[in-house]
Amino acid sequence: MTTDDFSPELGTVLSLDNVPVELPLARVGSRVLAGVVDYFLLFLVVLLWSVGMITLSSGLGLRPGWGIGFWILGAFAIEYGYFAAQEIVTDGRTLGKRVFGLRVVARDGAAAGNGALLVRNLVRSIDLLFGVPLMALDPLARRLGDRLAGTLVVHQRKAHEELVVARLPTGWGAAETQLVESYLRRARELEPEARLALGRRLERFVDERAPGFLPGAPGPDPLPRLWNGFREGQP
Amino acid sequence: MDYARFVALRRPLWESFERDATAARKQRDLSYAAVEDLALRYRQVLHDHAWARVRFPGTGAAQLLLRLAVLGGTVLQREDEERFSIVRFFFVRFPAAVRASVPWIGVATALFLVTGLLGWAVAVYEPGVAVAILGPERVDALHRGHLWTESLTTTVPPSMSSSFIATNNMSVALTAWAGGALAGLGSLWVAMFNGFLLGAVFGVTARYSMAGELGEFVVAHGMLELTLILVCAGAGLGIGVALLRAGDLPRSIAVPRAAREGLVVLLGCLPWFLLLGLVEGFLSPSPHLAVLWKALLGLALEVCFLTPIALGWLRQSPSTPLEVSP
Repeated sequence: MTTDDFSPELGTVLSLDNVPVELPLARVGSRVLAGVVDYFLLFLVVLLWSVGMITLSSGLGLRPGWGIGFWILGAFAIEYGYFAAQEIVTDGRTLGKRVFGLRVVARDGAAAGNGALLVRNLVRSIDLLFGVPLMALDPLARRLGDRLAGTLVVHQRKAHEELVVARLPTGWGAAETQLVESYLRRARELEPEARLALGRRLERFVDERAPGFLPGAPGPDPLPRLWNGFREGQP
Repeated sequence: MDYARFVALRRPLWESFERDATAARKQRDLSYAAVEDLALRYRQVLHDHAWARVRFPGTGAAQLLLRLAVLGGTVLQREDEERFSIVRFFFVRFPAAVRASVPWIGVATALFLVTGLLGWAVAVYEPGVAVAILGPERVDALHRGHLWTESLTTTVPPSMSSSFIATNNMSVALTAWAGGALAGLGSLWVAMFNGFLLGAVFGVTARYSMAGELGEFVVAHGMLELTLILVCAGAGLGIGVALLRAGDLPRSIAVPRAAREGLVVLLGCLPWFLLLGLVEGFLSPSPHLAVLWKALLGLALEVCFLTPIALGWLRQSPSTPLEVSP
């Protein structure tokens, strides 16, 4: 049994105080796919802008020159602002990145700053030429924009940091603790059959290794007994 | 100490640290006492994280402490984030960033001038260059004594050409800046290519004795336009230099720092291109505005751009005394 249901490749970086941070790095494949979605959406936004400007120009009776002038400025702003604006507003995620569960973070694992998000997107035109091979070759899958901005793109992973265990049998280490935490954390999300099967295995494991630790006798559903045993009766 | 006891003992500290660090993240002016208190608890969190990472890797506490360690580092070691003010940006931050890039702007300008002279010489002494650069229609127009710029007012409405010119110039500036990511080669290329092109265009028009007319067209917008492109190229070069020679800092710190300074330069330059687009679209091709007024306008724009930059040098004292913190 493993504790993670999803284990993308981890890259270790050092935070500001040299704390090793393991990040589930997004590699070239998922990033290119997210890019394809985003460029398609960018095309749609420009199309919408064009239709909007045509409607507005005719509605307001603007001279053709002014309508086209505004269209050029808007299209330029959309082209350069689409990625940066979304990443700044939604904490490092464009729509394409959302689809593939990706997010831009700073190199130390913290949230990326606005300046960094602007920088990484303003060199996008150059990265369209060199970005893919650079991402494929770099251990941290960075394109030029990431190097300049000090950012990384990671898979968004639900943090398993809930402190669900309040007591443990004497001498239990990290592996056993992870096992119990993982089950108690996920039990209510599992299919009933899987919950019962995994629970019975875990219950047997605990009774063999630490007889008498779990209260009472095994019942039809092992979850309440496990829950009470490791949570000291907390609901 | 076993895991359950470790969690039970330290959990209150972690929860209070998370609450206070999250609040401090949104706060700009933290008191010295608050920072000191937060820093002390941050050290305790780092200690707990190190312990959990070694003794209980992969557990909930280890993952929670990792997030708290990153949060604490972000809050306590963030760089000075001042409240954004447009006035402060254009009169303090931007001029300072330009001044810091002056050596690289100088390099870009020198290369621009050298390649400009080269382009001029090639165009003057090699007639075939005229057709290659301007195309046969424009050369025919020169034969007949007309500059291609005259058509700007007749074929395209000024409002449209203004937008086109502004976005085109901004694209050039962005390329010059972003070209720094290629170890500065992109920035050098933009400076040199534009220098050669401009020199060659003046050389071609000189062959047909029309350089004066071209000068009249560009006098209102050309000076500042070139300045802005060379400033952006200089900022890009600064980024390229940081990539190649990070100095005493790790490259992972030196490069983003140089890029942020370069970004300030770029963002400070971009609005000027909008103004110049209007000047080039409406005023530069206008036959109703005297050359003298166009020249004065060009000079005024250049002075407006350069004054805040130059004032910073004047304000700097000859020697800055070392500040010793208590």
